[in-house]
Amino acid sequence: MSSSANGSRRVAIIASHGGLDEAYPALILANAARQSGIDAFVFFTFWGLDVITESKIDHLHVNMVGNPAAPVPTMLAGLPGMESLAGKMMMKQMQELELPTVREMLQILDESGAELYACELAMKMFKREKKDLVSQVKDVITAGDFYDLSDGAQIIFT
Amino acid sequence: MTTDTHKATPHVPEPPRPHDHSLAALHARLDGLSADVHYLVERQRKTEELLEDMTPILKAMMASATGRLSAFEKKGYFELGRELVAVGERVAEGFTPDDVRQLGGAIVDILETVRELTQPEVLKVAAEGAAVLQNAQEAQPIGLVGMVRATGDHDVQKGMSVMVEVVRHLGRAATAVRDKRASAPGRRAMSEKKARLDAITGKRAPQAKVLGVERAIPLTHVRSAAKKIEVAATGPGCAVPTTGPAAVATVLDGVGFGADGHLADASTWTRALGAKLAAIQGVEMNDAHWKLVELARADFEATKVSPNIRRLTQIGGVSTKDIYAMFPKAPARALAKIAGLPKPAGCL
Repeated sequence: MSSSANGSRRVAIIASHGGLDEAYPALILANAARQSGIDAFVFFTFWGLDVITESKIDHLHVNMVGNPAAPVPTMLAGLPGMESLAGKMMMKQMQELELPTVREMLQILDESGAELYACELAMKMFKREKKDLVSQVKDVITAGDFYDLSDGAQIIFT
Repeated sequence: MTTDTHKATPHVPEPPRPHDHSLAALHARLDGLSADVHYLVERQRKTEELLEDMTPILKAMMASATGRLSAFEKKGYFELGRELVAVGERVAEGFTPDDVRQLGGAIVDILETVRELTQPEVLKVAAEGAAVLQNAQEAQPIGLVGMVRATGDHDVQKGMSVMVEVVRHLGRAATAVRDKRASAPGRRAMSEKKARLDAITGKRAPQAKVLGVERAIPLTHVRSAAKKIEVAATGPGCAVPTTGPAAVATVLDGVGFGADGHLADASTWTRALGAKLAAIQGVEMNDAHWKLVELARADFEATKVSPNIRRLTQIGGVSTKDIYAMFPKAPARALAKIAGLPKPAGCL
């Protein structure tokens, strides 16, 4: 069921969120799949498009409002500049851990053979074109197309 | 008084004694008595005169008082009085004699406060405030922006300053009241109850203050120290150290392998064994492959950690793409197997 015709295991990961903290799970899962010899397909839709948009990729924020795990009270988390600050702090911590940035992660994913796709409907909604996206994105496709090409894959929604 | 006079009079005609010296004594006594009687009669007369003088005055007073009382009645003072009595009764029901005694002590302060409050200037401010409240229905609702804009108004600024000052004094007074109550006997049980309640509801108890001891190390220090340890333990790329030989699950050609198919002890590796393992993996080894194997082994010797793909790209000077091309399926794992190293940990 979760393998292609040639017998290898496959996963289809749907990335629908644009926060820095929300982008990593999808990227790391895809990368881990490739490292384990599993074919990986990632479909970026809705806010997930920010993760592959050239102008946004280096400025992803961390939203702490309504997040009970956030280190600050929700009342403070809503103050202007707070999410940008949280994003910077998280990036700094990731640097300390030598975690690749989102841009590097996409590079690694592309080189490791994971396939990245953008959602056509979301692209129309956010008025973006293929040229606005990072070069690693293979194509802009519909959800149906994504099902077709990730045939037989396990689906992970993030 | 009058009865005394009547009693005294019958004693006057006493029968004379036969002896001269007793007669003389009797005369002396009679003289004394007559003086007493004279004094008493004089007092009686004065009293009667006083009464005679007073009667018209009292009558006039009564008439005037009655007139005034009826006037008061008309004005409703008695109704007010009755109400005041009722209020007094309610006060008596609600307050113990102790409370009233304390109130007696505070009466000077109360009067002082009332005097301060009734200064003409203060009353004027209060009257103006009341006028605004009376016309409150004309006020337009404002939002946050309106509030912010209003703070630019000079009068509002003044008012806020006054309010802040009032609030500050209220705060001081509240602290004073709390301290006073806390020190009063009988409050201890209540504060203990409150502490227990706080413990249940999770309110942070001011422990350092109560116990009078400071924490040896501030909590933030402990936290940051813990974070440092965590970082040190995980190391770069969230790799977990995999040192020491793994448990031997199977033995092939005299060499022990772990349950995951990796060589149990990296030191038992030979190049010939590596070639065999590569063949099993389906990898055709060339110089580039062997170079990477040597690098991985050297890195493991140095760090005691089996390198993951990210590490391999860093130490081998090769791209991720190259590594995937050389070892198509799970590159780091395949390389580790061929190089006789433990399974690489981490997510990258």
